Amino acid sequence: MKGYGLFYFTAEAFRGLRANSLVNLLAVGTISMAMVIVGFFLLAFFNLQTSVNALGDRLEMSVYLKDGLTERDRDFILTRIKAEPGVKQATHLPKAGALELFRKELKGQESLIDGLGENPLPDSFEVTIHREYADRISDLSEKFSGYHGVEEVSYGRQGADAIAGLLKMITYGGSALAVLIGVSVVFIISNSVRLALYSRGQEIELMQWIGATKGFILGPFLVEGMLLAMIGAALAVGVLAALYYVLPPEVALFLSRPNGLDFLPPAVVAYMIAGGGLLGLTGGLISASRFLE
Amino acid sequence: MNLVIHWDLEISVSSLPLTMIQLHRVTKYYEGVPALREVSLSVDKGEFVFVTGPSGAGKTTLLKLIFCAEQADEGQIIIQGMNTFRLDSSSIPYLRRNIGFVFQDYKLLPHKTVFENIALALKVVGTPHGDIERRAYQVLKKVSLEAKRHLTPPKLSGGEQQRVAVARALVNEPQVLLADEPTGNLDPQSGQDVFSLFKDINMKGTTVLVATHDWETVRKMQRRIITMERGRVTDIGQRAASATALQPDAVRTGAKSV
Repeated sequence: MKGYGLFYFTAEAFRGLRANSLVNLLAVGTISMAMVIVGFFLLAFFNLQTSVNALGDRLEMSVYLKDGLTERDRDFILTRIKAEPGVKQATHLPKAGALELFRKELKGQESLIDGLGENPLPDSFEVTIHREYADRISDLSEKFSGYHGVEEVSYGRQGADAIAGLLKMITYGGSALAVLIGVSVVFIISNSVRLALYSRGQEIELMQWIGATKGFILGPFLVEGMLLAMIGAALAVGVLAALYYVLPPEVALFLSRPNGLDFLPPAVVAYMIAGGGLLGLTGGLISASRFLE
Repeated sequence: MNLVIHWDLEISVSSLPLTMIQLHRVTKYYEGVPALREVSLSVDKGEFVFVTGPSGAGKTTLLKLIFCAEQADEGQIIIQGMNTFRLDSSSIPYLRRNIGFVFQDYKLLPHKTVFENIALALKVVGTPHGDIERRAYQVLKKVSLEAKRHLTPPKLSGGEQQRVAVARALVNEPQVLLADEPTGNLDPQSGQDVFSLFKDINMKGTTVLVATHDWETVRKMQRRIITMERGRVTDIGQRAASATALQPDAVRTGAKSV
């Protein structure tokens, strides 16, 4: 096969793509729509994972106190907390201060708090842990919970655990969907390649008669299938990028930069396109091997 | 030292098989109906043989079996010393590269130019790009169609199209040329042109096997005629006295030493 390797196959594949442009355009469109869904899940997955990591990395905890403690009780608890190895800093956040903070976070919707009547937020200590003690954060939390006068302890990792649950659901759901979409892409490509094979049946038959090997005949069709899926995947990335960078947040739902989300990392984009190519190759192989049988 | 070289040479020459195509009791069925029945024949290297007989005699089936386009149900077929039963499907393309095939309906690609049709045959065997133009031009010159190399087949006459098909069959310099009713769609003059091409090719050492029912040409050419009827060989024909004389020098030397 000297002189007729990938370059020849690719040139022939582009010729084939042009020859059946309408069919191929439809295939690329369908594939890119399907891949947009995969990309959407990937975006959600990566952003949630980032949140989980960020929360997990937070070295802060809130120690909520029971109502009705005297100042002496509070000082005693604070002293005990500060005495604990690993505690970097502990500051008192009184009920009123907590409410003020909450009010700031609800900027624009303060009326919600006004409707509450009496301040429902408890007194608390905001505790910062030394980085070296990050893996002991749950032990410390458990310890502080046991102190007399402490109502509850919460820390970032608890939030991380909650999001991790959601992430798990997205991972399973997304994986199932990705498999389904993967199978669909293989099916679409195998059909497109089959059409291309039939449209050039005369040429293929002749090539067999004049001594062409299977590889020489089918190589361009496999590359064609691979290119179709890769173009589809690249287009899907383009659509996602348009949603993310160009459209206003109200139109792009949560998929936008102003909402503080990250776009897919370049490596993931590369994997998406390469994965598309692999699916295309599989679809092409299915049709091609059946055709020559 | 000289003695050793001489001995090697003699072995290599004398071991060259003289028989190019050999069929032994070959039977082929299509949906239970026999198309060939216990056909045995052999064709020597450099021979020019006609296979004749009425429609349905089994001529096309015979050529297809030799070309490995079909598998025989019974019997043995040996081409260039290779038993086709023992060939796996991946080896068949390599066997076909040594067998040129000319079809009655030419089987040219209508959307490709004459040059591209020839170039395809060169590409499938991995001919380097740089050689394709030169070799395609040379073979088209051989069939006197070099001036029409940029035309597509529908713009050529039937005779010209068949000459392109012959050029394509020859461009890889096969040892065997098979032709199935090559003049079936041609006027008498174009038919004559194609047969004289075959004669020239055979003169240069290529074994030629032509299936035809063009009796007039067959008689004129005075070559061995294998006659078939209802799937059987009814006459194996007389080998032409000139057959051995037309063989390439090396084969002739080998023949004498056996």
